[in-house]
Amino acid sequence: MDYFLIIDFVQSLLDGLLFGTTYALIGIGFTLIFGVMRKLNLAYGAAALAGTYIGVAATFAFDAPPPVVFLLSALGSGAIGIVVYYCCFRFTPTHYPMASLLASVGMLLFIDEVVIHASHGMPLPYPSVFREATIELGDIWVRGDLLFVFFICVVAMAVLFWLLYRTPLGLATRAVSQQPRAAALCGIDPTRVNLLTFGLAGILGGIAGAMTAAAVGVLSPIIAMGLTVKGLIAVVIGGLGSIPGAIIGGLLVGAAENVFLMLRGVTERDIYVMLLLFLFLTLRPGGLFGSTAGRD
Amino acid sequence: MDFYLGLAQIFGVHTLLGLSAYVVLLTGQVSMAQAGFYAIGAYTAGAMTAMFGLHILPAIVIAGLVSAAIACIVGFPALRVKGLMLVVATLAFGEMVRLFFFNLTWQVERNGDRVGPNGAEGFRSIRYFPENGWEVWHVTVFIWFVVVVVMGALWWMDRTRAGAVLRAVGHDETAAQSIGLNLTAVKVGAMTAGGFIAGLGGGIYAHTVTHIEHGVFGVLLATFAIAYPILGGLGSVFGTLIAVLFIQGFLIEGLRFMGEWRSLLFGALIVLAMNLRPHGLLGEHAPRLKNLFGAGPARPSDPLSTKEAK
Repeated sequence: MDYFLIIDFVQSLLDGLLFGTTYALIGIGFTLIFGVMRKLNLAYGAAALAGTYIGVAATFAFDAPPPVVFLLSALGSGAIGIVVYYCCFRFTPTHYPMASLLASVGMLLFIDEVVIHASHGMPLPYPSVFREATIELGDIWVRGDLLFVFFICVVAMAVLFWLLYRTPLGLATRAVSQQPRAAALCGIDPTRVNLLTFGLAGILGGIAGAMTAAAVGVLSPIIAMGLTVKGLIAVVIGGLGSIPGAIIGGLLVGAAENVFLMLRGVTERDIYVMLLLFLFLTLRPGGLFGSTAGRD
Repeated sequence: MDFYLGLAQIFGVHTLLGLSAYVVLLTGQVSMAQAGFYAIGAYTAGAMTAMFGLHILPAIVIAGLVSAAIACIVGFPALRVKGLMLVVATLAFGEMVRLFFFNLTWQVERNGDRVGPNGAEGFRSIRYFPENGWEVWHVTVFIWFVVVVVMGALWWMDRTRAGAVLRAVGHDETAAQSIGLNLTAVKVGAMTAGGFIAGLGGGIYAHTVTHIEHGVFGVLLATFAIAYPILGGLGSVFGTLIAVLFIQGFLIEGLRFMGEWRSLLFGALIVLAMNLRPHGLLGEHAPRLKNLFGAGPARPSDPLSTKEAK
């Protein structure tokens, strides 16, 4: 084997794994919402992107420093997540999933258009940190900004795990996702839990959107579709309803995407990622960590 | 006048697209792959007439058959999963098809010109209609003839055992399986039929616009495909037609005077419609003509009404 090819390969793999954490966050968001509501929120990627735009608006409004921009992106996306819940999920019938699915599609188009209107469809610069810094490990370079993305995403996941497994709120969320009716009988208000889950998932999405934009350096409406599709693929590969699965799936998608980018070029990259998904669907329909219940 | 005839052509091909998703939705499956089948139909039919000089009718039938075959092959792995997983699987398939055509370059020499799909540039000069002297109204009549045939076939199917089988699977899979229905066969069959209709629609679409490129067949078109039947209601084929008229006629053409605000209103109105009429504009049980005009004898107690009691 050619030495440089191996170096290139390892380099792509590493970059992909670091960047894959953003897909993992989006995947966790989809899984959380699916867990408590058994519904698919297709507006999720667009909401994450809109939140990121709120962060950018802050830089124009009062020249906010990057940490404030990232924070505002996350909180803005959380707020939009709650709006999406009220518009698409709160008042549609629970036993007819297609209504909320189509409503979330409408919301996706609406948010997308609002973003394009507000930004006039032009890509905007997004602050990134540690752009110049690199760590050299032999012939392998670790980009500072990607390392930062990785670090923030891991912190977000750690906070999420703490919320889900160490607080009463997390207990309520897990109770509703395991058995909504029993949870309601124990005095947990499903509407409140759903609302909180949408907010929480929105914040995670906002972080993912902000980190994607920070790694790319510019923010454009096109990012939303990539986030949605890749996040969904991460969920399916990992297994629906499983948070560790979403993380592994996200890393796998990020790594595969970058390796195929190196091997086959940018136009064919996504074909192979989709093929990977089909392979998983054929050989392991439940995903890596999915139970048989995940197939429903 | 040509403008309105052109509009009628758009309604026609979108109705075919919506009907292709309608068949699959009857079995309770949400397929985002219809735009992919539509693209396969468009490129196949375009290749048949522009590259090999076939007549339009065999061209679109071949396009439909190719799409149906691919839908059947895709159906087997994809339909092992359901719900959200199926949405993702079919979404990925649709994107895969789009990217395949994005990368496809295959041109042949014909009449001194090179014709055929050319990567990102798309497939130019599918000029069967102008070359053979078809006027705009000829094309419109041809499209609506196909639409009426397909709608008629589906409407008739709904009244036969096949329609009942599809709806049984859509309402409750376990119950359907316990009365001896083969779930895989029913779902793959519906997928194949949907692929055929989408292929027909795509083939006709390619000839009305003469130039197709991969960007048209993206996720947006796939969401439109499932939006028509869901918005119109799964009660009957007319729901899809009404939803196409509502979206393409009212929301897209009718609101043109609103300028830039139209696209904003578009998504918001879909959200509003789903909140107010979650089962679609026509509802789950389409109104029968005889009930509307009071011609049929009013039944004292409708035996079907008991199933609504929850």
